[in-house]
Amino acid sequence: MRIVIAEDTVLLREGLAGLLEDAGHEVVARVGDAEALLAVVSEHEPDLAVVDVRMPPDYEDEGMRAAAVIRQEHPDTAVLVLSQHVETRHALELVGAGGGFGYLLKDRVLDVDDFLDAARRVSEGGSALDPEVVAMLISPKRQEDTLGELTPREEEVLALMAEGRTNAAIAKRLWLTERTVETHVRSILGKLGLPVSGDDHRRVLAVLTYLRASTA
Amino acid sequence: MRLAPRLFAWGFALSAVAVSAGGLLLDHIAAAKHVSGSGTVWLYPFLFGSVSVPAVVGALIATRRPRNSIGWILVLGALSLAPVLAASPYAWVTLRANPGSLPGGSWAALLSSLWPAFFAWPLAVAFVFPDGRLPSPRWRPYALFAVGSFALLLLVLVTAKRLEHPFSDVPNPFPVRLPDALALLRTFAWLAMFASLFAGTAAVRSRYRRSAGIKRLQMLWLAYAALLIPLGVVCFLLWGLLFGEPGEAVVAFLLGMQAAVALAVGIAVTRYRLYEIDRLINRTLVYAVVTAALGLVYGVVSVVAGVLVGRGSAWATALGAIFVALAFRPLRTRAQAVVDWRFARPRYEGLRRVRSFVDDVRDGRREPEEIGTVLAAALRDPSAELLFRLPASDTYANSAGHVVAEPPDREGALTPVEHRGQEIGLLRHRRDLLDRPDLLHSILDAASLAIEIARLRVEVRLQLVEVDESRARIVQAGYEERRRLERDLHDGAQQRLVTLGIVLRRLQRSLPHEAQVLRPALDSAVDEIGRAIADLRTIAAGVRPPRLDDGLAAALADLARSAPLPVDVEATEERLPPHVEAAAYFVVCEAVTNAVKHASPSRVRVEAMLADGGLRLLVADDGVGGANTARGTGLVGLADRVEAQGGTLVIQSPPGGGTRIEAEFPCES
Repeated sequence: MRIVIAEDTVLLREGLAGLLEDAGHEVVARVGDAEALLAVVSEHEPDLAVVDVRMPPDYEDEGMRAAAVIRQEHPDTAVLVLSQHVETRHALELVGAGGGFGYLLKDRVLDVDDFLDAARRVSEGGSALDPEVVAMLISPKRQEDTLGELTPREEEVLALMAEGRTNAAIAKRLWLTERTVETHVRSILGKLGLPVSGDDHRRVLAVLTYLRASTA
Repeated sequence: MRLAPRLFAWGFALSAVAVSAGGLLLDHIAAAKHVSGSGTVWLYPFLFGSVSVPAVVGALIATRRPRNSIGWILVLGALSLAPVLAASPYAWVTLRANPGSLPGGSWAALLSSLWPAFFAWPLAVAFVFPDGRLPSPRWRPYALFAVGSFALLLLVLVTAKRLEHPFSDVPNPFPVRLPDALALLRTFAWLAMFASLFAGTAAVRSRYRRSAGIKRLQMLWLAYAALLIPLGVVCFLLWGLLFGEPGEAVVAFLLGMQAAVALAVGIAVTRYRLYEIDRLINRTLVYAVVTAALGLVYGVVSVVAGVLVGRGSAWATALGAIFVALAFRPLRTRAQAVVDWRFARPRYEGLRRVRSFVDDVRDGRREPEEIGTVLAAALRDPSAELLFRLPASDTYANSAGHVVAEPPDREGALTPVEHRGQEIGLLRHRRDLLDRPDLLHSILDAASLAIEIARLRVEVRLQLVEVDESRARIVQAGYEERRRLERDLHDGAQQRLVTLGIVLRRLQRSLPHEAQVLRPALDSAVDEIGRAIADLRTIAAGVRPPRLDDGLAAALADLARSAPLPVDVEATEERLPPHVEAAAYFVVCEAVTNAVKHASPSRVRVEAMLADGGLRLLVADDGVGGANTARGTGLVGLADRVEAQGGTLVIQSPPGGGTRIEAEFPCES
């Protein structure tokens, strides 16, 4: 996989690059700000851009805005945004706008396998949403509406679905068989009134759209 | 510096009066010898007045306005007229009553014949009244002609073969005679003098036509008197033609004319407050009245006390003195009021208005800030505006409490207001009030205490606004500091920990097979780093929740999620100014924390909705209630936060009835 990294802290940038290269990916460019990021994406048309949210000059949400531009102008380049903390202003919109986008807290990187899996998933047109963000969507007060009808197990499955994971990944995570997971998924979608679809990604979008709509 | 003109003015005036008085004395002496042409006692006041009135009026004007020639013309006119008038009785005494008793009798007879001096100074006044200058340069030839005609007439009179009646038998002591060939010059001189008199009248007329307002009225006064000059001359000549001798009535008329012109000038000046003479007269009158009244008091008290304790007793004198001391102030105030009421109505009424206002302020019936409008009414200048001085910032504020950086002086005049030697304000007023300094300053003096009170109040109010603003700035700076700290935690420490974790992970992955035993240790190290990062994130969120960037509703939802008890949030999705969002968030945060700590509620309800253009916050719990704002600093801190944004906070916490905190923030957008 050909990757560009945009991160203003040099040590962290090099660490990320090393991690990805150790996993056999090719890091074609490393930049420190959003402008340079857009330039190298245009130049290299990489498979994936790993992007820090806060970058020079204002340390606001330059990375997020650059991600939106990349998704718009280079549909073949997936974007994985890394953030210091949960700020969902644009994250949910980008995830909901169709695959090829991921949003993770920075320290998820330390769970290396999970991180690499998310990177792969996103570059293949899937999505990745940080568990913190998902937790925010499935808030305690939601217990009182439709989500309250879900069993605790179904709730766990729903959270992992929202994170963008495949049935196989969910099964592995929860020590269940894939068939059991499929049963749970069908039950959840039924309870929420969502269409059943074989496509993992479409399923994530449906779930996210549902969660966002009912959160607002 | 001002002493010299004053000395000269009064010196000349008193000399003139003394000479005039001496003349009267001589006349009295001559009358005792039954010398004809003397001893007409009813003429004495006319004789004395014709000198003393212009002398005193002139001296008054000259001391106030030494640069204006009017005063000097009057003084010198009196000084020249007095010897001419006194010369006649001198000559009577020396030549007829007691021949040879005094020297220079024939010279006195000559001097007494110079009576056209009567017209000299009134004519000069006619040319230059009231500013001491000719109406225009065009008048210069006429003025020169007048001067020349008088000089010529003087020459003709001095060099005459025979002296005038009644000393026509006395030989002229002047050594030079006018040659017979130049006899025509005599007639010409007289005609020229009359012509110049008419020129003077024309000068007054011309100036009157071009003047307006008060100046016009002043000119009118002089015009009345100036008309008397040619009229007097015509009468004088007619009388001479009809009866041969100018009778005493004509003399009285001529003498009265002198006093009348001087009086006209004096009235024109005082009545229309030229040269500040009104102030002088006002004071003189007040002190005359006070002195007379005090003398009366002293006399009555001394006499009464003398009767009671014995004549000549020290007690009587002491008692009289005490009464005088006690009576002075009230008497002075009353005398001033009476004199003002009679002679200076605007001042009297203005002062009364200001004093009754000061009384009203003292009794709490009116606000001291109204002093500006009261002054405008008292000075009869609706455009007058009072500015209060703010010494701290060296600026001025108006009555509404708005700072006026630069006192504007576009129109009108500026007069500083002082209280105990300190400038406390500025009054902008019509320029013509400067011509009435007595009115202006006495009213400002009377108002100065009220002005000072109003000034202090305006100053305190402005300082409170400043304090409010600075509190808002401090709180704002607090929010910004929190934001910066949160950034530092996330972008600094947290980034380093992540970097460190990545290094460890890469190290772990590159371990050779034989070192695999280190894996669990590295795992737990990275886990520890993960926990440290989570701690940091919690701390940073406490400093300033990053979710505030997503809006108040998002931040409050987060807050509810992390709370240890159910919190129901209903919040507007509208974005508000960042400082309002931050303040509202921390108010809710502290209120919820307080509830959890002290009230042991089962639920907390949070509302943050827009109402009337502002944000209305409600944090209500079902806990034990009984919260006291004085006891915990938490609730006081809440009030500070809300008030710093210009909002209001209401806390209801009946014991056992839960706590209900309501706050309202204005949201200017």
